[in-house]
Amino acid sequence: MSSSDVTNFFFLFQNLAPTLPIMQPSHLVTSLENLLSEKVDQMMEWSSRRSVVRMNGDKFRRFVKAPPRNYSVIVMFTALQPQRQCSVCRQANEEYQVLANSWRYSSAFSNKLFFTVVDYDEGADVFQQLNMNSAPTFMHFPAKGKPKRADTFDLQRIGFASEQLAKWIADRTDVQIRVFRPPNYSGTIALALLVSLVGGLLYLRRNNLEFIYNKTGWAMAALCVVFAMTSGQMWNHIRGPPYAHKNPQNGQVSYIHGSSQAQFVAESHIILLLNAAITMGMVLLNEAATSKGDVGKRRIICLVGLGLVVFFFSFLLSIFRSKYHGYPYR
Amino acid sequence: MKQPGWQSLLSFSILFLACLAGFSSRLFAVIRFESIIHEFDPWFNYRSTHHLTTNGFYEFLNWFDERAWYPLGRIVGGTVYPGLMVTAGLIHYVLNLLHITVHIRDVCVFLAPVFSGLTAISTFLLTRELWNQGAGLLAACFIAIVPGYISRSVAGSFDNEGIAIFALQFTYYLWVKSVKTGSVFWTIGCCLSYFYMVSAWGGYVFIINLIPLHVFVLLLMQRYSRRVYIAYSTFYIVGLVLSMQIPFVGFQPIRTSEHMAAAGVFALLQAYAFLQYLKDRLTRQEFQTLFFLGVSLAAGMVFLTVIYLTYTGLYVRLLTCYAKIHIPIIASVSEHQPTTWVSFFFDLHILVCTFPAGLWFCIKNINDERVFVALYAISAVYFAGVMVRLMLTLTPVVCMLSAVAFSSVFEHYMGDDTKREKPPEKAEEGLGPNIKSIVTMLMLMLLMMFAVHCTWVTSNAYSSPSVVLASYNHDGTRNILDDFREAYYWLRQNTDEHARVMSWWDYGYQIAGMANRTTLVDNNTWNNSHIALVGKAMSSNESAAYQIMRSLDVDYVLIIFGGVIGYSGDDINKFLWMVRIAEGEHPKDIRESDYFTPQGEFRVDKAGSPTLLNCLMYKMSYYRFGEMQVRRGALTPPGFDRTRNAEIGNKDIKFKHLEEAFTSEHWLVRIYKVKKLDNREPLDHKLRSVVPKQKYTSKKVPLMLGGEFALQVWRDSFRFS
Repeated sequence: MSSSDVTNFFFLFQNLAPTLPIMQPSHLVTSLENLLSEKVDQMMEWSSRRSVVRMNGDKFRRFVKAPPRNYSVIVMFTALQPQRQCSVCRQANEEYQVLANSWRYSSAFSNKLFFTVVDYDEGADVFQQLNMNSAPTFMHFPAKGKPKRADTFDLQRIGFASEQLAKWIADRTDVQIRVFRPPNYSGTIALALLVSLVGGLLYLRRNNLEFIYNKTGWAMAALCVVFAMTSGQMWNHIRGPPYAHKNPQNGQVSYIHGSSQAQFVAESHIILLLNAAITMGMVLLNEAATSKGDVGKRRIICLVGLGLVVFFFSFLLSIFRSKYHGYPYR
Repeated sequence: MKQPGWQSLLSFSILFLACLAGFSSRLFAVIRFESIIHEFDPWFNYRSTHHLTTNGFYEFLNWFDERAWYPLGRIVGGTVYPGLMVTAGLIHYVLNLLHITVHIRDVCVFLAPVFSGLTAISTFLLTRELWNQGAGLLAACFIAIVPGYISRSVAGSFDNEGIAIFALQFTYYLWVKSVKTGSVFWTIGCCLSYFYMVSAWGGYVFIINLIPLHVFVLLLMQRYSRRVYIAYSTFYIVGLVLSMQIPFVGFQPIRTSEHMAAAGVFALLQAYAFLQYLKDRLTRQEFQTLFFLGVSLAAGMVFLTVIYLTYTGLYVRLLTCYAKIHIPIIASVSEHQPTTWVSFFFDLHILVCTFPAGLWFCIKNINDERVFVALYAISAVYFAGVMVRLMLTLTPVVCMLSAVAFSSVFEHYMGDDTKREKPPEKAEEGLGPNIKSIVTMLMLMLLMMFAVHCTWVTSNAYSSPSVVLASYNHDGTRNILDDFREAYYWLRQNTDEHARVMSWWDYGYQIAGMANRTTLVDNNTWNNSHIALVGKAMSSNESAAYQIMRSLDVDYVLIIFGGVIGYSGDDINKFLWMVRIAEGEHPKDIRESDYFTPQGEFRVDKAGSPTLLNCLMYKMSYYRFGEMQVRRGALTPPGFDRTRNAEIGNKDIKFKHLEEAFTSEHWLVRIYKVKKLDNREPLDHKLRSVVPKQKYTSKKVPLMLGGEFALQVWRDSFRFS
């Protein structure tokens, strides 16, 4: 959600506020049913404009906390202002929007469940009132009674994926939401771009297609796959480790993970380079012996190759040893 | 080219020594402990081999095992790859025929080391076809000692992989041979070897995809020849028919998506050959028209197939890797994790850095069979990256390609310039003996480090039977913890023959194999809901668990508890998986979040969640543990759990429906007996007070006491009876 979008919406919201009938003192006499239906209508109107209703302190107390209610409310307490620098909030917000949209445009959409958000910069008093000191937090306010312990979503353990949120909501309110993610076209576009690039290249070079038969190119490609796999890029892809670890106490950056069960991205890149260097050393050794040329030059190539193999293998071994305590000879 | 006699003698002795080294480096466990079957799956294999040797082959194929998965049972004959059992049974039979009487257990224990020798030979043959004799010998030496292969083939690890790698390498050798010669003889040999592989391991899918891939790439590279046509056509048809003879495989080769690539390539090859044939017969113009027609038709067909596959979701299953499946029972197995670089280095050491060089040489000097080894390397390295377990299929190709790299270096640097036949007049002859000997020395040193690493890894990481544990004191003396077998023998000796033992699925095969008792779930995790039911029983409170155990006719419950000796693989550490699996099937009754503290921690001490502190698994693990002072300095309080470094939170544990039956010496295994129902249900409501009419009152009770007192006496007697 862009910032201009937010201000725009907020502006609209403030214009609306004075026209609300229930805010007039003369209407306080209206019966409870009337009040309830007014509230539901108001919530429905807001929801139809935007799947997640933005709340400030007053709105929150009136529509979420105050008793005559027959609808459940899911509230996300968050801090989305850029100066708060809460990157988790933004990710959580995206997931929350996906979920709210899935509910808003599903066939089961009804006035039994509303999605709302309270930003810290708009409703700091709500945070104080609820004794809340971390954002984002997801809470469910049931139609009847007070929120229990399980009505606070366990973000630490489950994470904030929409599917998990939907499961939690189904658990708390018996409303099943089928999460519908807007399809992600970036992968397809990247693939199409790649294919067209390769196709274009082939077309440009159509007079000279010899390079397809270039063994060096194919060998390079094969080695790239091999190096990527043996340095654990697949592990990185599946587990998503951090790039490196920065010690918060003294600011030291460590690139090598201390345990043998895990690795950092930077570490896997270092290993990739080391493996490549050793392989290159072996190739150079072979090259020096087979090529036909000046003996002095070949000697240098040979020594460089040998140096690459021996030096980088020792380096690799020492990294391995730092991860495997007590290696070897116990 | 005829070899001189001394050369073949040398090759033979090197090969023989490689086999011997491979065999003997796998014997650490036998020497340290005894000749015993390891781990979990091998116990099942051993039990079925035993069944095979006692009851015969046909009885084995029709075996319905009523002792597993109570009350469902398991059709063993139709759900195993029988190759391993049949091989061991056959060896046992032949040995007994020769009056060498060995127990079937010893055959099973030593089967994998023997087959590792055969693997070394087949790797030698394959590498010799790909490169040359020297590389072959080096490859045989590498595969004999490389930890990536030893991890699955130490003595006592009686598992499918032990014989399957031999079958894999031998099949590939025969395939390369048949592509090279184009002779049906070699191809039929390849099919038979493939048949053996299918009968031995599910990994045969790798072969039936790699060989078609090879043929396909050869077609793309315009390396089509009659030899390829003969080899593949024969292999596909005969191999298909043979593979369908295995009961467990059955009609899968013509039904499932894993085998479709082979069929597609077969069709493509026929079409290609047909086009080649037409090319000779038709004019150029006719041929072009026909060709375009055919290509557009084929493209349309492929397009429709892809649409269909995508629609039915098969395509997705083909492309997604297994590691991404989020079913807890698959995620809970540590072998199904992706691989870090450390695992690669740990299992392959220097080979992982040098085999890309071998791959480079192969691609630079490409020919038909080197295309094969390049594809083998790339596909295997991808699969090994996705799943730790598939390191096993990568290891042989890494050995071969590293051998290629090392042998080409040695070839150029070891030879002596002066003794060459060719005259050394050319200027670019030599690098000089100094450089040559330095390079040779350093390379040999690297290989020596490799050998040391292999021995260290084999001895320290891969030679533990995990049925018998060993701990070392400060002075280096060894304590053997034989609790598992102690407990299983207790079960065997002291319980009814048809007693049903409930435990977590990890121990199912061992209970069946060692204790010979009926189990509810075991390591063949085919029925998730049954496992979830056991998980639910373990994670519920005692009365709820008793309901489940009654409905499953459980007589004994067996758990593993490591808190006394600090054994980390015990059931409390696995407990969250039980909860997760149970939650997957019974989300209303079991919630994972109930087992955590509000801060989201899993703790067993006083701060732990009350649900955890009162669930059956916790109570069974820590029953009477609160009174126990674990020896570890004087300061630890009673009930201090050494595995989790915490004083347990619930020390006052009492059972209503269970009683402790057995606890092993170091408390590693605890067995509880499930009590039968009481004779009469105790009434939880107040007894109806009836004032009896006088004419029914017994004469023995004085009349004036009557009514209330009689009732009181009756109640008391009931309570104390």
